[in-house]
Amino acid sequence: MKQAVAVFMILQLLPWQTASADMADAVKSTKGYGSKGYVWGKLLPEQVAVLKLNGDAVRGKEAFRGCRGCHRPDAAGVTDGTYPRLTGQHASVVIKQVTEVRAGVRVNPKMDPFAAEHAVSTQEIADIAVFLASAETTRENGKGDGDYQAEGKALYEKGRCSDCHGRRGEGNENKAYPAIAAQHYGYLKREMDYIQKGVRGNSHPDMVKAIKHYTHRDIEAMADYLSRMSDYRQSGAERNAK
Amino acid sequence: MRLALHRIRGSWLVGVAFLIPGMLLSPVITWAQTVPIAERLLLCGGCHNSDGNSAIPENPNLSGLDAEYIHRQLQDFRNGTRKSPAMSGIIPLVDEKEFEALAAFFSKQKPKPGGAVDAKLAAQGKEIYDEGIVGSAVPACSGCHNDDGSGTEKYPRIASQHSAYVIQQLMNFKSGERANDVRAVMRAVAKRMNEKEIRAVAEYVVTLKGAQE
Ligand code: HEC
Ligand code: HEC
Ligand code: HEC
Ligand code: HEC
Repeated sequence: MKQAVAVFMILQLLPWQTASADMADAVKSTKGYGSKGYVWGKLLPEQVAVLKLNGDAVRGKEAFRGCRGCHRPDAAGVTDGTYPRLTGQHASVVIKQVTEVRAGVRVNPKMDPFAAEHAVSTQEIADIAVFLASAETTRENGKGDGDYQAEGKALYEKGRCSDCHGRRGEGNENKAYPAIAAQHYGYLKREMDYIQKGVRGNSHPDMVKAIKHYTHRDIEAMADYLSRMSDYRQSGAERNAK
Repeated sequence: MRLALHRIRGSWLVGVAFLIPGMLLSPVITWAQTVPIAERLLLCGGCHNSDGNSAIPENPNLSGLDAEYIHRQLQDFRNGTRKSPAMSGIIPLVDEKEFEALAAFFSKQKPKPGGAVDAKLAAQGKEIYDEGIVGSAVPACSGCHNDDGSGTEKYPRIASQHSAYVIQQLMNFKSGERANDVRAVMRAVAKRMNEKEIRAVAEYVVTLKGAQE
């Protein structure tokens, strides 16, 4: 009898969890960083095509509908960092990421079917990129606990991270370096971890070098610091880090 | 423990009983004949009701669906890319030239509110519908179909649809039996869901009201 009750309780809990079939994000790309002939930033044929198009924010907002289920209707993602915040991200970065997921350079099995060619056209990528770059954030992002901000700041500066991402985490639109200020803590931590381990397919080799010697705790401290920065558009930073 | 979903499949036959008077009323029964819409409704209405609000939960409501969506489904039933034991028997009787008028007619019918639901199950379904399931990367249904289930040109209306039909379609997307969604997104959604989650979300879909005029 006791056993039956226990089994029943497990069954009650299980079905909501079984589908969480671990879709590990950390799948190494066979075409990306670490594979023969990988050159960061070498334009893919689709990137050449997108960059010739004019994006339209109104059309982009409509096309973004297919992305809202995960990145949320306001494009601010989920605070635990499972889904990154996309508001204010540079158009060049959005284009680079989506096309590289399509090409299998950055592996993202969760997003893949929803960003594939049959779901979003090349024109729609251009439209979405323009829409996101100008989208405002109204929601608080997921933040670290705030205990390691000073340490994080020092590590960020020491690592010359700001050469590429800027002192205010604004990134660089022209060079397609992502804005990282006020991104969700969980996402920042995960990506730094992936880049350090070389599993993010489109990692920049110089960033891999820059972050190589940091400990896990260092990464947490930097994520804490970056998550507590304000949106670069509010802190008055330019779109291109000097 | 397995829930007998296949049980649902057979029950479209119930609808066939309604179909017979419709056929008798047609002056001459020939293969794919163009007939006036009022007469045609006797055929479709047998299963979907003449106002598109079907009384049989396995037969979908057609009222208020986007005309282009309906049209495409009819074409897909005809060319076999969408399979259904019920519709594939019906579609050869209808001339392709009628599809447009039928689609326009049903899209203009006023949807009826859904029936009673199991409130506890619907509440679980609401969470999936509005937030998705983050752990298994199921995107929120509301992202595409809208908070109120009203849909858009690209994403069909699902508000107040029968739960039995919604369950069947999600199971068909999951198994790949329904694979006519050009963008393949619904297959990706349903593959990430288990049967319990599908049942819960379907229960909630019944309660959606669609766009309010
Ligand atoms: C099923 C959920 C899901 C859907 C739907 C989805 N994404 Fe994503 N997206 C993710 C996840 C998860 C990540 C983070 C992956 C990682 O951690 O490496 C991501 C990352 C991204 C990134 C990279 C952000 C960065 O800072 O590098 C962009 C850009 C993006 N998504 C755009 C889109 C667009 C555009 C769409 C719609 C066409 C879309 N996503 C649909 C789950 C989704
Ligand atoms: C050489 C320039 C460069 C340097 C130096 C650099 N990064 Fe990066 N970083 C990049 C690029 C480029 C990407 C995105 C990869 C891609 O898709 O091209 C990135 C991605 C990231 C991301 C993930 C952002 C996202 O939206 O997905 C974080 C977080 C990050 N860098 C932090 C750091 C930190 C911390 C340092 C210093 C230890 C650092 N970076 C040094 C260029 C650089
Ligand atoms: C014998 C009963 C029956 C008759 C008669 C019938 N249908 Fe159907 N119809 C169904 C069933 C059952 C389905 C669900 C098919 C499935 O399982 O995919 C369906 C599905 C549909 C769909 C797809 C709806 C959606 O939401 O995707 C359309 C459109 C449709 N029918 C239109 C018609 C039209 C127009 C007629 C008259 C020419 C008609 N049906 C006659 C039983 C019937
Ligand atoms: C990325 C966008 C997207 C998301 C997210 C999404 N759907 Fe869909 N859904 C579609 C598209 C597109 C179709 C139309 C398929 C076709 O063209 O045949 C569809 C069709 C359907 C249908 C069939 C409608 C009919 O009349 O036959 C049902 C039921 C459905 N979706 C339910 C859901 C549920 C429940 C969820 C959440 C668990 C969901 N959808 C999430 C895009 C989406």
